[in-house]
Amino acid sequence: MSAAELADQLDVVSQGSALIRTKLEVRSLAGAKRVLQLQIKQRRTKTTSDLAYQVLWPDEHKGEAVILHQAHGVAKGSIIVPQQPVRAIKASQMNEGLFDSDLSYQDAVENFFAWKKQALVGSETINGVNCQILESKPDSSSVSIYAKVRSWIDPQRFVPMRIEKYSSSGELVRRIDVTRVARDEKHHPIPASLTVHGPRKNSVTEFNGARIDQDVQFTDADFTAAGVLK
Amino acid sequence: MTFFTVVIRGLWRRPLRTGLTLAGISIGIAAVVALVGMSRGFEKGWQVGLKARGTDIVVSNRGGSLTPKPFDASVRDRIAGLPHIAATCNLLVEVTSVEESDLMILSAREWGGFAWNNLELVSGRMPRDATEEAAVLGQTAAEVLKKKIGDPIQIETKKLTVVGIVKGGALVEDGSVILSLPLLQGIIGAPNQINAIDIGVTPSTTEQQIKELTRQIEQLVPEVRAVTVSEHLSHNEGFRLVKAMSWGTSLLAILVGVLGVMNTMLMTVFERTHEICVLLAVGWTRGRIMRMILYESALLGLFGGVIGVAIGAIGVQVLSATPAIKGLLQPDLSIALLGLSVVIAIAVGIISGLYPAWRSSRLNPSQALQAG
Repeated sequence: MSAAELADQLDVVSQGSALIRTKLEVRSLAGAKRVLQLQIKQRRTKTTSDLAYQVLWPDEHKGEAVILHQAHGVAKGSIIVPQQPVRAIKASQMNEGLFDSDLSYQDAVENFFAWKKQALVGSETINGVNCQILESKPDSSSVSIYAKVRSWIDPQRFVPMRIEKYSSSGELVRRIDVTRVARDEKHHPIPASLTVHGPRKNSVTEFNGARIDQDVQFTDADFTAAGVLK
Repeated sequence: MTFFTVVIRGLWRRPLRTGLTLAGISIGIAAVVALVGMSRGFEKGWQVGLKARGTDIVVSNRGGSLTPKPFDASVRDRIAGLPHIAATCNLLVEVTSVEESDLMILSAREWGGFAWNNLELVSGRMPRDATEEAAVLGQTAAEVLKKKIGDPIQIETKKLTVVGIVKGGALVEDGSVILSLPLLQGIIGAPNQINAIDIGVTPSTTEQQIKELTRQIEQLVPEVRAVTVSEHLSHNEGFRLVKAMSWGTSLLAILVGVLGVMNTMLMTVFERTHEICVLLAVGWTRGRIMRMILYESALLGLFGGVIGVAIGAIGVQVLSATPAIKGLLQPDLSIALLGLSVVIAIAVGIISGLYPAWRSSRLNPSQALQAG
């Protein structure tokens, strides 16, 4: 399978709509821990992505939300905090952490498998799985804070086991490791737990998926501030 | 000097090497005890939990992961009239993340069903009705979630109130968040969906009749599987995978132990060529030489096994007290498992010693003169 075919297959797998519940845990090297229970509404097509992250727990953050959109390679979003005006996420803020985690807004919404420049640059075994290394680079039609993304793909299950994102100077900015692969209700493998190492070095973020309902019918209003606050 | 003194002296000749070999076997055996003990504890915990609820047969969907796939609650109406069935109770069981806990059992039970009967209130009260936004927690679940009566508990998108702490008579029950079936169905948006039916049979029903009943249920509703409590987990793909992984990992650890002992015994034979040849020259038979080497390797296995069992038993207790596991499973460290582990260790020792023993028996007494 060529790089383009592999990327295309991964792009297809990521399309569709789903309602996800996950635990987000940010741990600092000093031992502090912050836990959020999140609900994620997700709707992806070949060219667009809509995401709404809502905090369910704990109470002091309940109702906080982040809405992200990406269309034709350009991402935008807004932050919702109850009783406060909705704040737009500027392009320069896309590198900031989602709920102050190590995963950025850009990471959450960006679909680098849809980029046109894809190449296979090797293979490596990750957690006992022989993976192909796919290198994706943004072209002129995609706006990204990264110069290249390398993903270690399990070619049997079409699941990325590791993702590394690099800056234009070649520095590794983020690494995402898939620590658990589960099967969804259609028996398709999906990444269920992730560990994210970001640029701030003094913390690590874990996403631990608890539930996924697929083919959920969302309306455009579900991805607006009014819809989230409803 | 007796035969056994020679064997023991052989082991003490290189105490550091013997110690390191013992460590290798011990780690392998500790892995057997810990992993198999955990998987057996998990199996036993569920069985005790089901029996504590008064369940004789569990009806669930075929295959599935740790929790079976949901199916329509109307299945119960199709089977409730079969002979020997005394009571049925619809259930929806989920293993999911609740608040700070990664894994928590959500056990939603049909309101008024017999699965509520075994719950003994420790404090607080039971929910008033099926629609009250309330849950009761098993004692361990309350401890893990740090909850007391009146505290809120976030289940998926819904905030419920903890109204009672209960004792369920089994680890699984004690580690669960228990709520009414319609409540959980509403929370996860799965009205009329269940993933298990607990069946209690009439008191006079024989084992044979229970088996026949499971067959009748499967005939009547082909999309489900009906199994007795003891068979329940052996039909679960997730559990079978856990069991296979625990034995697979253990066997790998044992293989490392075999190689370690074999290496040690081969080194012993090479180093003691002179001594073995002298023993042959003074009249020891080749069979006795082989027995000496095999006894040494079997003793290594025995000591490694005993130490490994101790390390495994302590390790598994420590593991089961960690926040990630506490309340979900209690290891089953039966005498049979501990005994089997020691027998495996001795077998490892003997198997590892076979080749070195054969090599030693092929030595020629004249080599003693050449060796000096």
